[in-house]
Amino acid sequence: MAKTRSGSDVSRRQFIATVSLPLLAGACERIRFGGSSASLPRSVVGLFPASTYAVDLSDVIFRGFQDLGVDLRGRRVLLKPNMVEYEPGTSINTNPLVVAGAAVACRRAGAASVTVAEGPGHRRDIEYLLSATGLANHLRELKLPFTDLNHDDVRMVPIGNGFTKLQEIALPATLLASDFVISMPKLKTHHWAGITCSMKNLFGVVPGAVYGWPKNILHIRGIYESILDLTATVRPHFAIVDAITAMEGDGPIMGKPRPLGFIAMGADPVAVDATCARIIGLDPAKIGYLHTADGLLGNANNARIDHRGEAISRYATQFDLIPEMRFMRPA
Amino acid sequence: MTLPSLPTLRNALLERRNSDGGWGYSAGRTSRLEPTCWALLALSKGAARPGSLDVLLKWPIDNGWRIDVPGAPVNYAFNALAALTLLTSRDGRTEATQVATRLLDVRGLKFPQGKEMRQDNSLQAWSWIDGTFSWIEPTCLCLLLAKKLRRDLPAAAVADRIDIGERVLLDRACSAGGWNYGGSNVYGQELFPYVPTTALGLIAMQDRASDAIVHRALEWLRKDAASERSAHSMSLAAIALGVHASPLPALIQSLTDHVKTIAPDAGVVGLAASLYALSGSTHGEDAFRL
Repeated sequence: MAKTRSGSDVSRRQFIATVSLPLLAGACERIRFGGSSASLPRSVVGLFPASTYAVDLSDVIFRGFQDLGVDLRGRRVLLKPNMVEYEPGTSINTNPLVVAGAAVACRRAGAASVTVAEGPGHRRDIEYLLSATGLANHLRELKLPFTDLNHDDVRMVPIGNGFTKLQEIALPATLLASDFVISMPKLKTHHWAGITCSMKNLFGVVPGAVYGWPKNILHIRGIYESILDLTATVRPHFAIVDAITAMEGDGPIMGKPRPLGFIAMGADPVAVDATCARIIGLDPAKIGYLHTADGLLGNANNARIDHRGEAISRYATQFDLIPEMRFMRPA
Repeated sequence: MTLPSLPTLRNALLERRNSDGGWGYSAGRTSRLEPTCWALLALSKGAARPGSLDVLLKWPIDNGWRIDVPGAPVNYAFNALAALTLLTSRDGRTEATQVATRLLDVRGLKFPQGKEMRQDNSLQAWSWIDGTFSWIEPTCLCLLLAKKLRRDLPAAAVADRIDIGERVLLDRACSAGGWNYGGSNVYGQELFPYVPTTALGLIAMQDRASDAIVHRALEWLRKDAASERSAHSMSLAAIALGVHASPLPALIQSLTDHVKTIAPDAGVVGLAASLYALSGSTHGEDAFRL
C-alpha cells in the first residue's frame, strides 16, 4: 500500500507556502544579492509602451525582439501565457490580444512554428477557459495550435536545482519538444509569493492530470523553492510580460486591475521579474525567490541589468499589497 | 428537442482509441487512466450490451494502485474513478473493492488553523496525490466510491471516512452555493463556485439532498449549469442533476447543440462525459448513482 501521511503535522509556514527569506538565504550561503552574479553575463530588459490593448501589439513585440536581438529563425516557439481561471471584469489572465500579438511577431521573426500552451492551475476545463477568455477566437483566426499542458503526454525529467527536494517531475511532451519557450505572464501581486511574473508563471507547465488542481505539491514543497526549481528545469528562453493592465492587491485571483501601459521583455526571467517588481514598488532583495535566483539563474541586481525602451522611472509606482506582503517594499 | 447523434459521439470515441485498448486525453496521446475510464463508461452506457473492461482489469498496477504515469505519484482520484468504472461490471467488483479498501487509508494532509482561510484545516479527506491537501474533486470521487461499497468495507473505517468526506464538502461550500476546486474563502474573499466541481459535489452528496448546503448547491447548479459552455462542464452538470432527479431540459439541449460539431482536437473526457450524460439507460450499476 502506498505510504500515506495520515496525521502528519505540516507547519503553518509550509501551509501558506511562504518560505522565509533567511531560510532560503541560509540554504544558499554562496549566493549573495549582487555578489556572485558577476559570473553571469549582464542581462537586458526592455520596457515597451502599449497604453491599451488596442495598439498593434504584434508590432510592439516584434520591435522588442529587434531591440533585444532575439533570433527566432527556424525555432519551434512555445508561448506559455498565464490563464488560471476566468471571471468577467477581472485581470487574472494574460490578455489574449498579447498572446495573439506575440504569435504574429514570432512568425514575422521567422519562427518555424508557434504553439500556445498552458496548464491552468485552478480550472481543468480548458474548452471553457479558452472560450470564456476569448483566446479561442484568436487561435482560430491565426490558425494557432494550442496544447493543454494539464492533459498532454508527459515525461519524467530530473529537477534542475534541488530546492524542492523532488528528484524528478513530470513535464509535458509539447514543452519538451519546443526549442524556444516564452513565458508570457500577466504582471500581478501574489498573496503568498509577493509577485507573480515570468518565473511563477511556470507553475502552469506542471501537469494537473498528474499532480491535481491546484498543483498543490508545489505549495507543499514551498512556492519559492518550486519557482526556483521550475525555472532551473524549464529554462525559459524569453519572457513577454503583459503589464498593460496588471493586478494589484490580493492577487493572483482576487486583486484589482491596475493599468500600467507597457510590455516587459527579456531573455533573463530573473531580470525581467526583478525589474517588474521594482516598477510595482517591491524590493527584489526581499522576495525570497528573486533573492536566491540572483547570480544562480539570472540577474536580479539592477546594476547588472541594461535597459532598453523606456526607463523604469516612467512606470514606477506603488501597488496596493495585502498586509502580509508589505515587508517586501523597499526600506 | 433535437436528439444528438449518439452514434457520432460513439464513433468519435472509438476513433480515438489506442491500439493498447485505452484512451489518451486526446487523439494520438498515450493511454491514461482518466480518459480510459470515461470512455469505457460512456461506451457501455446505452450500448446493446455491456462493454469489456479488460483494458482496465489489465492496467499496470504497482502496489495495488493503477499507474497513470510510470514514475509519477499515485493519483488517488483517478484510482477511485477506475474503481467506480470497474464497479459497473460484476467482473470488476472484487478489484473495485480492493481499491476502495486501500483508499480508506488515504488522507490529505492536515494543517494548523490560520486566518488566511475560513475552512477547517484539521479535516483530512482525500488528496490528489500523497503528501498534499484534501481537495474537492478527489474527495468527491473517493467519497462516492466509499458510499457505493459501504456494505463491503470495514464498517467503522468506512463510516469514519464517509463522515470526514462529507464534513469536508460541507465545510468548503461556497457562500454562493456549490464548490470551488478547494476552499471557499481566502483572506476574507469569497471564492467562486465552478460548475464541474459543484456537479461532482452534488453527485457525492446525493444521499444528503435534504442538507441546506447541498440544496443551495443544487439551486446554484440549476441556475448556472449552462454558464460554462464546454462538453465537460455541461455533461457533469447533467449527470449531477440527473442523480438528484432534477433534470434541466435546456441544459440537455445546450449540451446536444454543443457536441453536434466535434472538433478534431476535442478531448476524450469531454466527449465521453457528453455521451454518458446524453445516453439513456445503463447496464449493471450506474457509476454515479447510489
